Amino acid sequence: MARYLTQRLAASVVTALLASVIVFTLVRSVPGDVVAQMLGQTSDPTAERALREFFGLDLPGWRQYLAWLGNVVSGNLGMSWTRGQPVGPLIGGALLVTLQLGFMTLVVATAVGVPLGLVAGIYEGRLLDKAIQSFSLLGLAAPVFWVGLMLLVGVSSLAGWSPPLLYAPPTASVADNLAILALPIASLGLLQAAAYAQFVRQSVVSAFHQDYVRTAIAKGVPLRLVFFKHVLRNIGIPLVTFMGLILIQILGGAVIIESVFALPGLGRLLLTSIETRDYPVLQGALLVVVVIAMAVNLGVDLLYRVIDPRVRLS
Amino acid sequence: MSGGAAQAVAATAQPRIGLGRRVRRDPELAIGVALLAVVAVVAIAPGLFAPQSPLAVNVDQALEGASAAHLFGTDDVGRDVFARVVHGARVTLSICAGALMLSALIGGSLGLVSGFIGGAVDMTLGRVVDVVLSFPPVVLGIMVTGILGPKTANLVFALATVYMPVFFRIARSGALAEAGQTYVEAARSVGLSEGTILYRHVLRNVLPLILVQYVILFPLVLQIEGALGFLGLGVQPPTPDWGAILQQSKDYILLAPWMSAFPGLAILWTALGLMLVGRSLQRRLDRR
Repeated sequence: MARYLTQRLAASVVTALLASVIVFTLVRSVPGDVVAQMLGQTSDPTAERALREFFGLDLPGWRQYLAWLGNVVSGNLGMSWTRGQPVGPLIGGALLVTLQLGFMTLVVATAVGVPLGLVAGIYEGRLLDKAIQSFSLLGLAAPVFWVGLMLLVGVSSLAGWSPPLLYAPPTASVADNLAILALPIASLGLLQAAAYAQFVRQSVVSAFHQDYVRTAIAKGVPLRLVFFKHVLRNIGIPLVTFMGLILIQILGGAVIIESVFALPGLGRLLLTSIETRDYPVLQGALLVVVVIAMAVNLGVDLLYRVIDPRVRLS
Repeated sequence: MSGGAAQAVAATAQPRIGLGRRVRRDPELAIGVALLAVVAVVAIAPGLFAPQSPLAVNVDQALEGASAAHLFGTDDVGRDVFARVVHGARVTLSICAGALMLSALIGGSLGLVSGFIGGAVDMTLGRVVDVVLSFPPVVLGIMVTGILGPKTANLVFALATVYMPVFFRIARSGALAEAGQTYVEAARSVGLSEGTILYRHVLRNVLPLILVQYVILFPLVLQIEGALGFLGLGVQPPTPDWGAILQQSKDYILLAPWMSAFPGLAILWTALGLMLVGRSLQRRLDRR
């Protein structure tokens, strides 16, 4: 286990390093850096040289990269070029918003999607199954930001309610915080519940077609018992993997839904740092996203090995 | 491919399986094809359905709800939303189809070669793919279009990059499985070159996998294209593109919800059709 963990961690570090090189190169490969933006129409060569020197943009690319990497390794993500704030706390604050949105969505999606999938799988081919499958297909086909917009329209025209415009952290007011997060969670959660339902249904159906389940049914074990003792147990393991996948999808979806509901999360930070060419923030935010996605994948693989002894042997 | 060939022979030998029976055998496929047929006709001949120009501004009629003159209402500068959605089909779908084609061509051929020859090439390409896959798809799309700038060419490049690793992996694992088959050994023993074996034999067996993947990924590309357009990183106004229309409608969401409702429905409709067809194709492939 320890050896496996070391190998996986080493591979992740290499991938993250390569990803950071790509991001760094891509960011610097286009015309129009922060200095050009700051100077605007004016062209004062002295000011331009001074600003470039100030931001370290006069150094060759590889030296800029090594300097940045050295700082990152020692836990310093640098200063924002446009906000005059350190990048670390900036990303930390945004990350909290995105993580809260993500985890609450995961809970909602799991609570709605898994039971739907179980029911659909048990009633395979019947009307209930077809209804759940239709919901699930519609949910998968709908663009997440559009569902968010339509929920907003629906809620405000039917109930005359619209969420507060300004984001409130849960530490300031739990009620306001939940009010502003309700619709983003509902739209993201609905779509991920659809994905869950699809997956769980498929797992249940294929479990029911396994030989050992057929044997159990044939020898007269009550269906209820077959379901809980054989079917449910065997879909637990793939479900863990799928949960990881969902979590990464939620992270991606959160980035978009944040811009619909004006949430100050990681997605918004990413977009504004792209607009203002704020390289330190952009690089930091992308690095954080990649590391989170990797951590989720690694966590899922480890969990998989812990709960399924068969994987450990092979 | 022998299964496909046999099916083709069977189809030509007895072409008179009634349409009704086919629909009953696979209703999902039938619904999917029907949904897509509508989209295809609209994309090919938008002028037939929406004679009004998607670009004609008429400020006097701005933000009007649905009426006989404007089926989907009008937008903030009085353009006909119906015309914009209908004409947007071609723009949006050609971008998605083109990007995915590029993705399948590059990712697929690299994967094919990588899986077939293995060794250092396979190792290196595998690493690169891991790096690309370490970004969530939407974030990768935002990164590429955001940094390179919102141009259609960059959008196509971004969408192609996002799903290249998927085609790579599918083609690679297909080629890897084929490389160990007896027929490859036999082809080698009669002196066929590696290139010929790869192109004439391995490719033909891997191609169905890639084609099915193309259909399965299409709705996902459609959604990402929409999202990037919505964020202002895709097609730029005034060109009618479903995502771009949604971006322009965002500020009027409570005032004129029809501006947002219909382009989103168009994405939903098309994605649903593609998903139904994709699922059906996947089932057929699995059965083989």
